[in-house]
Amino acid sequence: MGSRILGIDLGTTNSCVAVIDDRGVATVLASPEGERTTPSVVAWPASGGDVLVGTPARRQAVSNTAQTVFGAKRLVGRKVNADDVVVLARTAPYRVVAAPNGDAWVRIGTVARSPQEIASHVLRRLRAIAEHALGEPVTRAIVTVPAYFDEHQRQATRDAGTIAGLDVVRILNEPTAAALAYGAHRVSEARRLIAVFDLGGGTFDISIMSVENGIFEVLATGGDSALGGEDWDRRMVERMADEVFDKTRLDLIQNPVALGRLREACEAAKKALSVEKETWIRLPFLAQDQDGQPFNLERKITRDEVERWTSTELARVDEPCRRTLADAGLVPGQLEEVLLVGGMTRWPAVPAIVERIFGRKPSKGANPDEVVAQGAAAYAGILGGDDDGAALLDVTPHDIGIKVGDTGFSVLIARNSMLPVRARKLFATTTADQKFVSIELYQGEHADVRKNRRLGQVVLDGLPPGPAGSIRVELNLTVDVESIMNVTARELSTGKEAGVTLRPSGGLTQREIVEIISRRREEESVSASSPPRGDGGLTRVPTRELPPIKPRSE
Amino acid sequence: MPPITDLSYTRGSLSTAPLNIKLRCTSWQQLASIHRRDLSRHAIFLKASSPPPLGTPVRIDLTLPTESMIVLNGVVAEHVPEGGLGGRGPGVDIKLNTLPESALWLIETALASAAKQATPSAATTDATVDDGQDLTQAEGDLHTALASELESLRKLNPFQVLGVGYEADDADIRAAFAGLTKRYHPDRFARYTSTELRSLAAEIFILIRDAYRRLGDEPARAKALAAVGARPVVKVPTLRPTAPMPAIPAAPPKIPPPPPRPTAAPTPGGTDATVSGRAPETERRPMQVAPPTLAEDIKVDFRAADGLLDAGRYDEALAVFKIYTRKNPSDRTARAGIELAEGLRALAQRDRLEAAQRFEAVLEIDPTNERAARELAEMRRMATNERRGLLSRLMGKKE
Repeated sequence: MGSRILGIDLGTTNSCVAVIDDRGVATVLASPEGERTTPSVVAWPASGGDVLVGTPARRQAVSNTAQTVFGAKRLVGRKVNADDVVVLARTAPYRVVAAPNGDAWVRIGTVARSPQEIASHVLRRLRAIAEHALGEPVTRAIVTVPAYFDEHQRQATRDAGTIAGLDVVRILNEPTAAALAYGAHRVSEARRLIAVFDLGGGTFDISIMSVENGIFEVLATGGDSALGGEDWDRRMVERMADEVFDKTRLDLIQNPVALGRLREACEAAKKALSVEKETWIRLPFLAQDQDGQPFNLERKITRDEVERWTSTELARVDEPCRRTLADAGLVPGQLEEVLLVGGMTRWPAVPAIVERIFGRKPSKGANPDEVVAQGAAAYAGILGGDDDGAALLDVTPHDIGIKVGDTGFSVLIARNSMLPVRARKLFATTTADQKFVSIELYQGEHADVRKNRRLGQVVLDGLPPGPAGSIRVELNLTVDVESIMNVTARELSTGKEAGVTLRPSGGLTQREIVEIISRRREEESVSASSPPRGDGGLTRVPTRELPPIKPRSE
Repeated sequence: MPPITDLSYTRGSLSTAPLNIKLRCTSWQQLASIHRRDLSRHAIFLKASSPPPLGTPVRIDLTLPTESMIVLNGVVAEHVPEGGLGGRGPGVDIKLNTLPESALWLIETALASAAKQATPSAATTDATVDDGQDLTQAEGDLHTALASELESLRKLNPFQVLGVGYEADDADIRAAFAGLTKRYHPDRFARYTSTELRSLAAEIFILIRDAYRRLGDEPARAKALAAVGARPVVKVPTLRPTAPMPAIPAAPPKIPPPPPRPTAAPTPGGTDATVSGRAPETERRPMQVAPPTLAEDIKVDFRAADGLLDAGRYDEALAVFKIYTRKNPSDRTARAGIELAEGLRALAQRDRLEAAQRFEAVLEIDPTNERAARELAEMRRMATNERRGLLSRLMGKKE
């Protein structure tokens, strides 16, 4: 059978690929080196040569900070001037630049690269891992994204798949995937209301679901697409750099190599502090002071300190949780289970605040790093017809509506509407003998339409003449299970109609995608003419490397 | 497999696209040869004994061995004579309008992976492309069945859409919704290549979901019940004809609950019959039915006849309706009653074509007749099931 669909968790920090095996069980596929998750790190070696992906990229990061990209997911489908992108760009060791359309891209050497292209390297690596493990070609995948991703971010993720030679059959929400993996083992008939609290490397999602009779129904979803473990790391980095600056007037932020090392050390310290009460950050020869003397950083760090520095980050989970509960029409006591997903939920303060919000001790899934990919694979089983005992009912994560007047936003489909969904609305002309109507669609929660994201527009012209308000136009909007929107506008007296299928842009035009593909194709043919690549596109690991190390968690 | 020819109300044609051809590549060698000989020159050759005229627009759905589908649009550019095009003729050469670069990339990368995986066997056969005609036909049939089902569902009230009784509680409603969702959610149609199937399923699912919304909790259900009860066509077969007709049926189960929908009466061939014991039980619930006397109160007559129908005594019910029609030839209720009784009898005798026509006739006379709408919907659902079963078998999977 060559019809497998991969389940891919394209994470901010780590990515994972799974597939339904012959027994119908979702199984994580390990790389030839034995790694079950792949760091979402892509690097262009300073010396030139092939792009590095995953652990090899991560290993060389310290010596190649400017050309090693972490967390490209946080930039995918985003504008460079978005608040959180600005914050990220300030401390990222690589250069975030503005693409002509205002999107956030990354400059590698002299080339500006889209985050889609960078993410495609990770997807391609995962695809190669899967093909290696399965021994057959794979072209189809379900890729997960945070529930809170908007249409642009979703489309950008699809585009990354296309560049990686993958037909992305569906984009699935991460918490939904987690619940699916979690619920697949439970055949209980009774209705259960569960919350999935997913705090990963770069995004935070909260979903409230009901599970009954094999139906996974998302009741409400919310979150913060710019909150995650990396914010904890960044706080620690900033704090350390400030302390060093106060003491020595050395600005580590201006020193990419030192910044990279400090970041690694802080992340490691955070992980240690998830278990221990205190640990040490030791970075010998971190930089040179004005006199050329080496500066060594050595500092004891305690969990209490880090909790103090990151209290604002922690507090940011509160509001989305409460709002999502309210959207689901529930009070905390009604939930029977709160499921923790994502590496950052290992940080002790996180389960503590979850317990405070929901009044219930959260449960940890078997493996928070793999559960999302497993859920995506389980969903592949549903779509492929292998599993007909389950169905997934997902919702629209944001309000969808139209622009009224200059700044108004009129909601047609409220967030958390079950998909597929349809909405109708009647409009009347506002001026006499109006020739056409132009209806602009937006997505978001702001009453001020300019703060929401534009999805597209439909223009109906050739309206019959008549006084203001006499000509009526019916707008029909449908969103299908793949989140594809169809809009039609119809003038009622003549039946004249205009329609459009909204495929929100992921930021790359079709031509740009093709350009990247043809560039990739050239590179492939170059390497194909040299000795055959028997590795299926896998990044070559130097043979003198140590045996496979245990994948870093989170 | 019984012949699926009994339901004659097919409507509309499937394809809006010009000439839809499905190509299914079952092996990588096959794909490689298509790529080498055809796609690389932005064209595709198809065998044809009676070729369509030049310039005919063609849409080709090319399915890869990994089940990814690529849509190619083109026009018939050349009629290739016998032996033409390197011995491949006769057939047509189709010039592809624009071959999406990303599609070509998908094919190339997949081929490259396949080449790497391939065991070194020299056998590269140029298999002829299976045109998947049966599959296309089966998808078309399923499409037709779904379309008629959608049409009949539109005539039903929320209780009937979900296939629950008016006395159903929250858990019943959710269970019914779950069952229907597993059958009609568009994801269930994801593995068929036809996108029209998915959008039809979406339409049906929206109806089911709306019904679920309207019955999902107690207050909403009370409102829906009031709306249903207010309809004049609701006949309440009460055992005490003198009792006032309640506007809202208060106590269960005064109204014969419609049969739960995720059931199927055993079809002639016995395909996908999952009988949930409730249907026959409620249908043939022992009723103390008044004998068909010519009472002065017409309502009593009809109620009695309805009771007979519920009890499966179609001939007797038919007699009651007929007697009344003779006296009052213009009475629509009685005429509809005759058709209904005939339809139910035909159904009991497994003459589905006759039954469907009779039920259609009922709806023509009395468009608000719940029972006929329900029976028709049920039949159409079964038709969908059968076509789906057939399609699944063609695709080599169990349903």
